[in-house]
Amino acid sequence: MKQRRTGLLLLIGVIIVLALLPMLVNNYWLRIATGALMWAGLACSWNMLGGYAGYINFGHSAFFGLGAYVTALLMGDKLAWPFFATVPAGIVVTALFAIMIGAPTLRLRGAYFAIATWAFAEVLIQFTSVMDFTGGIGGIGLPPFLDERFFYFAMFGAAALTYLITWALFERSRFGLKVKALRDHEPAAEAIGINTSLVKLQTFVLSAVTASVFGAIFAYWVTFINPKSVFGGDITDQMVVMVLLGGLGSLWGPALGGVGLFVVNRVIWMYWGDTAFYIAILGAAIVLVVLFMPNGIAGLFSRDGAKSGAVLDKAVGKVVGDGQGGPN
Amino acid sequence: MVPALDLFLQTLLNGLLIGGVIATFTIGFQLAFGVLHVIDFAVGGWVVLGGYLGYYMAAGLGVDGFLAIPVAFVLFGAIGYLIGPILYNVRNSRTARPELMALALTFGLFTLLRGGMLTAWGFNTHSVPTALSGESLAVGPVTVPLIRVAAAVFAIAIAGGLFLFLYRTRYGLAIRATAENRQNAALMGVNIRRLSANVYGLYAGITAMAGVLMGAIFSVNPEVGLRYTLFAFFVAVLAGLGSVGGALVAALLLGVIEAFVATYVGSSYSLLAIFATLFLVLLLSPSGILRHGL
Repeated sequence: MKQRRTGLLLLIGVIIVLALLPMLVNNYWLRIATGALMWAGLACSWNMLGGYAGYINFGHSAFFGLGAYVTALLMGDKLAWPFFATVPAGIVVTALFAIMIGAPTLRLRGAYFAIATWAFAEVLIQFTSVMDFTGGIGGIGLPPFLDERFFYFAMFGAAALTYLITWALFERSRFGLKVKALRDHEPAAEAIGINTSLVKLQTFVLSAVTASVFGAIFAYWVTFINPKSVFGGDITDQMVVMVLLGGLGSLWGPALGGVGLFVVNRVIWMYWGDTAFYIAILGAAIVLVVLFMPNGIAGLFSRDGAKSGAVLDKAVGKVVGDGQGGPN
Repeated sequence: MVPALDLFLQTLLNGLLIGGVIATFTIGFQLAFGVLHVIDFAVGGWVVLGGYLGYYMAAGLGVDGFLAIPVAFVLFGAIGYLIGPILYNVRNSRTARPELMALALTFGLFTLLRGGMLTAWGFNTHSVPTALSGESLAVGPVTVPLIRVAAAVFAIAIAGGLFLFLYRTRYGLAIRATAENRQNAALMGVNIRRLSANVYGLYAGITAMAGVLMGAIFSVNPEVGLRYTLFAFFVAVLAGLGSVGGALVAALLLGVIEAFVATYVGSSYSLLAIFATLFLVLLLSPSGILRHGL
């Protein structure tokens, strides 16, 4: 009980600091804070499916990018939609694509889903690079709106909403129990009457749609997007690292991992600029976390965090023939 | 003959020849999946590393690119042999989600390879020079680059050797048994862990050899790894994950689709076409359309 009160106080403190931040820091740091909030939110959105449902999405950048491109296209000279009207449009488009990708592949093993999502993101890069209406490789510009505070609060609102939804749906409702049940034992979940295909699809669509909202705000914020900058594999890599680092399937893990990695990213960027070395670091981080810290930072603090020590032993070299290796 | 027909035949032949090379590493990929139950995102990374080995051996030592093929097999076979047990341990660990963790591991490995290669060698594109580069062979109205013919011959030899090994040796039997039911195979005395290491090593070696050829036919830079990973996935989905027989057919089909789209529509659309086919197959027949089992 006492722990819970400390947690609540901490949360209120964080929210107050975040709400007052624009008055405390200059635009440079506000931009960094905006980016950190975006990544914390994106990590949470990836975690919905990856952490709670146990399906790895290696093409989450596709949905981030779809949100960005829909906003960019609708706000362009010809249509000139207002920003807030483009967000729901992006949500609808993203949801449709998520259903299209998810409906056939979520019924299968996780491997097929991983393949399909990864390929989908790669193909969107190709598609937007060859099509004229998306501006090709050169990309597409948006009407500039240079109000850092607006974007800070937009990202703040979107991130807060994402975490609120995650908390309410996955931690505090029957739906969350269903999702966790199918993650832990899918046949058993089906046996007690859960429509696992539907639950997985709902989770996937929710996860995709939240990513698209961040994509929409991002596009308006940076005022210029191209295929690599919003669909690029590095974006997904970063989300995967953030969630693995923070802790799969935990509510606060992705926030910690997201903000932490984003700070590392900015430091590297300050010293070396855009470097391919960062991609290598991301890859090494995934490998190291999987091998030595499979429960992430959150796992170190949770009560069953003790398990991670045992897992380490396994990774370093014991033979286990527990029959868990069969397909699915 | 009619020029249009010539072009058609030319495209078909090109596609089949490339498909043959794709087949070599996708067969290995399927084999690794069958035994380890992990889809290996790093497959494109091994292809590219093979290509770079060929390029650096030719540029640095001045030897013919073909000499890199056996070196690639030994070098990357050894590396794969070392990685195999790690992958096996993660896949069979008692974490909540071993399948997911193993998938993340290969994805991380792929990202590490790609980032490492970009850092070390940059975005420049290189080609592997060989004795046959630039030569071509005329078959009736159709001319074929000799290097592609050599690559296809190599592919047939590798695939043939692999099938003989799988179906005519005791160790091949052990591999097939493990792919079919690992528990029963273990009960029959197969050391699954050691077998996984060997299979992953074999697969990494073959993939790197195919990479040398791909580097000689096309060219190599760190980013093309994504393309080869997509190829392997395409074949896996079409053939059904783990199916070795179907992989050969699917790889040839892939080569032909790619060649036709590149010739008649434009090479920038070939990945789109491949994905469209892949998605259609997932939608209509999710367990693959060429499934025969191992």
